Amino acid sequence: MLRGLTSLTLAFIYLPLLVIFLYAFNDRRSLVWPIEGLTTEWFGRAIDNPGVRDALLVSLKAALGATLIALVLGSFAAMAVARYRFFGRDAISFLVILPIALPGIVTGMALNATFRNLPEPLGVDLGLFTIMVGHATFCIVVVYNNVVARLRRTQPSLGEASADLGADTWQTFRYITFPQLKTALLAGGLLAFALSFDEVIVTTFTAGPDQTLPIWILNNLSRPNQLPIVNVVAVFVILLSMIPVYFAAKLSGESAGGGATGVAGGAR
Amino acid sequence: MSSSSEGLEAPSGESPGRRLSTFLFRHPRLRVGLLLAPPLSWLLLAYLGSLAVLFLAAFWRLDPFTSQVVHDYGFQNFQQLWESDVYRRITFRTIGIAAAVTVTDVLLAFPIAFYMAKVASPRTRNLLVVAVLLPLWGSYLVKVYAWRIILQENGILNWALDPFGLSGPGFGNVATWLVFSYLWLPFMILPVYAGLERIPNSMLEASADLGGKGLRTLWRVVLPLALPAIAAGSIFTFSLTLGDYITPQLVSSTQFIGNVVYINVGVANNLPFAAAFAIVPVLVMVVYLLVARRVGAFDNL
Repeated sequence: MLRGLTSLTLAFIYLPLLVIFLYAFNDRRSLVWPIEGLTTEWFGRAIDNPGVRDALLVSLKAALGATLIALVLGSFAAMAVARYRFFGRDAISFLVILPIALPGIVTGMALNATFRNLPEPLGVDLGLFTIMVGHATFCIVVVYNNVVARLRRTQPSLGEASADLGADTWQTFRYITFPQLKTALLAGGLLAFALSFDEVIVTTFTAGPDQTLPIWILNNLSRPNQLPIVNVVAVFVILLSMIPVYFAAKLSGESAGGGATGVAGGAR
Repeated sequence: MSSSSEGLEAPSGESPGRRLSTFLFRHPRLRVGLLLAPPLSWLLLAYLGSLAVLFLAAFWRLDPFTSQVVHDYGFQNFQQLWESDVYRRITFRTIGIAAAVTVTDVLLAFPIAFYMAKVASPRTRNLLVVAVLLPLWGSYLVKVYAWRIILQENGILNWALDPFGLSGPGFGNVATWLVFSYLWLPFMILPVYAGLERIPNSMLEASADLGGKGLRTLWRVVLPLALPAIAAGSIFTFSLTLGDYITPQLVSSTQFIGNVVYINVGVANNLPFAAAFAIVPVLVMVVYLLVARRVGAFDNL
């Protein structure tokens, strides 16, 4: 019975995604089921669509920028928390998790209120930059969790040995700490990328006139003659968010001895 | 004494990099400070600062004649929220559906999580973890869109139910509940799986030896031990539902707190009122987190 329920649950999780894949090849413009014929025509049309291209570019830039910021800030915070004792250490983990633990509209709304009320010399227009700031804020936790988990499994004594043998801070980082953290950083970065590439709610509050790919989908859902292209873009978004997660799971799975908690922890 | 301290002193001919290393090595507080400065200043300025602005903005008001935000402080926005039937109904609908989604996800997650943790071979278990993990991270909007296609008038669900003389729920509160339960299910499965995996098999055997039948063992042994993990998963299902407005917009005509907030920020340009309403889910979450912490959910996050 458990086996049956497990299969049913998996079917429940994956069937809706399968539906989107089928519709992407639908040869009619309408979404009426059942589908009568298949075509690959919409894929070409989606690639040629200027709106899709612009949105893809914005999405990629925002995700790359947010991932880089999150990698730096997340690993710095992780190294401080995992390797040192100091006043307020517990508060740091809480602070890092907060942007993802609070409801999305709160984070979006708060950033929106700030960006619109910044005093003159600091003023920013909503757009790519503010999208990046918003995404980086909730991506930090993903990198942080992966790096903290890795640091807890490795020994600080290696770094001390390196210093004893005459390495300076940079050399110790370059030859000892970084190789230890490499896969954790990669896994965290991939997850941060997927998280950013896919985000809608915070983005709607921080995007202004710029469109990310998910926002493009949202804006085009109400235009019936765009729906075939929306279906293709949807398939693309599914693939581009699942592939990084797959590799991230493999990376942290191998190093953690098959445990998934490293990545599951990322979702916290 | 003096020679040993001289030994630690950097010789004068050394490179600035090495002298910096030595200096940093001797001052661990400085190292922590340098490590913490960038992430802390980002989170304090960009995030906590923003939350503070949001909190302040909730007490501002909109001038009805000029439609400009006036930075006077008062409780008028909260008063408006409290006295209006519409907003009270929206608040209760949001919290009610969030609670229903949480209960549904616990029921759906438990069997598969138990199978993963206690029945499956290590190989199958790893495959299942990845299978649950993949859709957790990605394509939120695409999933809602998929359900919009499935639930629509000429969609698959009605087509599949038609031969039995039935029809799907259509768009509305039921659709919202269904889609939310679908979206956040992986967020419940993984913590519950991790929690169940930590229960030693000997406990289940001991219960069986003492005459506990399957259901009794489940109810008296497994469930109490899994409760913190379930509470941990429920933080996600509850919080994510509270803060969403896209799903109700796409598969229902009823409004959530998020819809009102979004309309007031974007269309009505009433930032103060939107801020006041956005504080409601924060308060609900604070209470929820305090209760969850008592149950021990934080150790299972």
